[in-house]
Amino acid sequence: MHIIVCIKSVIVKAPEAGMVRSHDSTELNPFDRPVLETALRIKEARGGITTALSMGPESSISVLSEARAMGLDRGVLACDPALAGSDTLATSTALAAAIDKLRPFDLVLFGTRTSDSDTGQVGPQAALLLGIPLVTQVHSIEYIDSGLYVERTVDGFIEKFELSFPAALTIHPASVQPRDIDLADIGPAFEKQDTKIWNLGDLELSPDQVGDAGSPTKVLSISKSKRHKRCEFIKGDTLEQADELIKRLAESGMIG
Amino acid sequence: MDSILSEKHRVVRRSVRRFSERELRPIAKEIDHEARFPWEVVEKMGRLGYFGIQVPKELGGADLDSLSYAIIIEEISRVCASLGLCVTVHNSVAVYPILAFGSEEQKAEWVPPLARGEKIGAFCLTEPNAGSDATGIESTAIKDGNSYVVNANKVFVTNGGVADTCLIFVQTNPGADRKEMSVVVAERGTTGFVVGDLEDLCGMRANPVSSIRLYDCRVPLKNLLGQEGQGLRIGLTALDTGRIGIAAQSAGIGQGALEEALGYARQRRQFGVPIEKHQAIQSMIAEMATLVDASKLMTYRAAALRDKGKPFSQESAMAKLFASEASSKITDMAVQIHGGYGYSKLYPVERYYRDARVTRIYEGTSEIHRMVIARGLMK
Repeated sequence: MHIIVCIKSVIVKAPEAGMVRSHDSTELNPFDRPVLETALRIKEARGGITTALSMGPESSISVLSEARAMGLDRGVLACDPALAGSDTLATSTALAAAIDKLRPFDLVLFGTRTSDSDTGQVGPQAALLLGIPLVTQVHSIEYIDSGLYVERTVDGFIEKFELSFPAALTIHPASVQPRDIDLADIGPAFEKQDTKIWNLGDLELSPDQVGDAGSPTKVLSISKSKRHKRCEFIKGDTLEQADELIKRLAESGMIG
Repeated sequence: MDSILSEKHRVVRRSVRRFSERELRPIAKEIDHEARFPWEVVEKMGRLGYFGIQVPKELGGADLDSLSYAIIIEEISRVCASLGLCVTVHNSVAVYPILAFGSEEQKAEWVPPLARGEKIGAFCLTEPNAGSDATGIESTAIKDGNSYVVNANKVFVTNGGVADTCLIFVQTNPGADRKEMSVVVAERGTTGFVVGDLEDLCGMRANPVSSIRLYDCRVPLKNLLGQEGQGLRIGLTALDTGRIGIAAQSAGIGQGALEEALGYARQRRQFGVPIEKHQAIQSMIAEMATLVDASKLMTYRAAALRDKGKPFSQESAMAKLFASEASSKITDMAVQIHGGYGYSKLYPVERYYRDARVTRIYEGTSEIHRMVIARGLMK
């Protein structure tokens, strides 16, 4: 059993255009922590090896080390200056190329979203590029001889799927409580650095497939949205106030 | 602050913070109120390496450095200072002296259960008539066959109520120079080993501080730590390291109080605006933040020096003195910003205020620290 977990080093500060990821402005995406836990539980139940995979600048090695401190066996980072500025499609392209290079694998796990961009697109796009079945928002997993039964809750219904390997899942963040890192595992994970770093050549990708060049989406600008909240006192006696309030609510479509 | 730390240290901080927020935040008020030692959390911490932070792997520890140790104590204390106290005292003045002065046999026997938190350690120096002047201890250990017969009256023992493995400072030759003290390790359960009532303290109430008395207690000769007469050196070595822990604890209390004050100043409105808009409040917050920052920097420097194998005694004394005094000022301002609510048990700042006070007293009072620092300069 080979389980690949895709994780991201997310920016912890408020977003702005053209942000550069650095050691002190990033951390492991909190939505990826339950995914790492899921991988570890599958490994504990079924054996095998676990690989944490990320894409980003060299500072992203930190989240791979953290994943190893949590118990994953190895880390792989897709890292190349040409990857900078990748949108979700270019990111999925790079991750799918790395996953392809990690064959044979049985399961690829993703978080449902990231805390710094929140698109939820990378898992599904990568699964599509790899041509493997995908179930999103999975909250329970049951092992069967031929693969897995997985469940997800959507629109008030519980859907149950049977999957054969290889397959991809996005894991619902509330499905499991991630384990605490044993302090004894932090030192070795950070001091014995054996993360594999793959550049574009290793991934057999051309620069026009990734980065700005390979991204159909262009983020033109990011600015903080302003909340418009206004307080108005309705005048008159109580009856007049009530009538006016009902009128306003009806006009705005909130009642009636 | 974290930008000067390595990724490893930042992950240490985040891991401890997540644990403390989840496990300690919900119970911190209740265990203070009930003066209850939270075994249910302590057991989890034991399995995660908190009780053997700097203990080598082969003895069951987490084998981290001093900077990690300081960050861990700071983060626990930011949420629950009582438990920060338990962890720092256990690691620095109970386990560390055994690692530094114990024989291989002693380390193999005592350290693994301590490092896993299955046993809790305590440092028993203070007596009714010996505090700052440690050489005034009157406890004795007299050789008799294969044992020492120990008679000791130790007070204000941190972790005392739950401690299994206790470092007892004694005179083995009562007529000799009082500086010729020694340390014997006594285990709870030995005949004559009595744990006294818990102290009813102003702060740090979830730590079971108690007296420990030994009445004609026979401790095997092999339980002598180091050599006879080496006790003062063992004690001072332990306290050098312990001071980093108390400095870190003080910085953590200050950080916690600062965060509470910031949160309250944002939501409390007076004169039509949140009180954070008032210059008088801003002035206090700026002062608090600066004190917290300086406390952390001094603590991290002392820890980093220790990690580099350089002398750190003076720096750890200064960090302990500064950070403990700062934590009293910071928590006082946090209460002031909260006004009447700050004086109420509805809000956590009164707990921080009570907890901070003792950091200026234990592991060497501020007055003793000033003496130590001045002596260091006048060598």
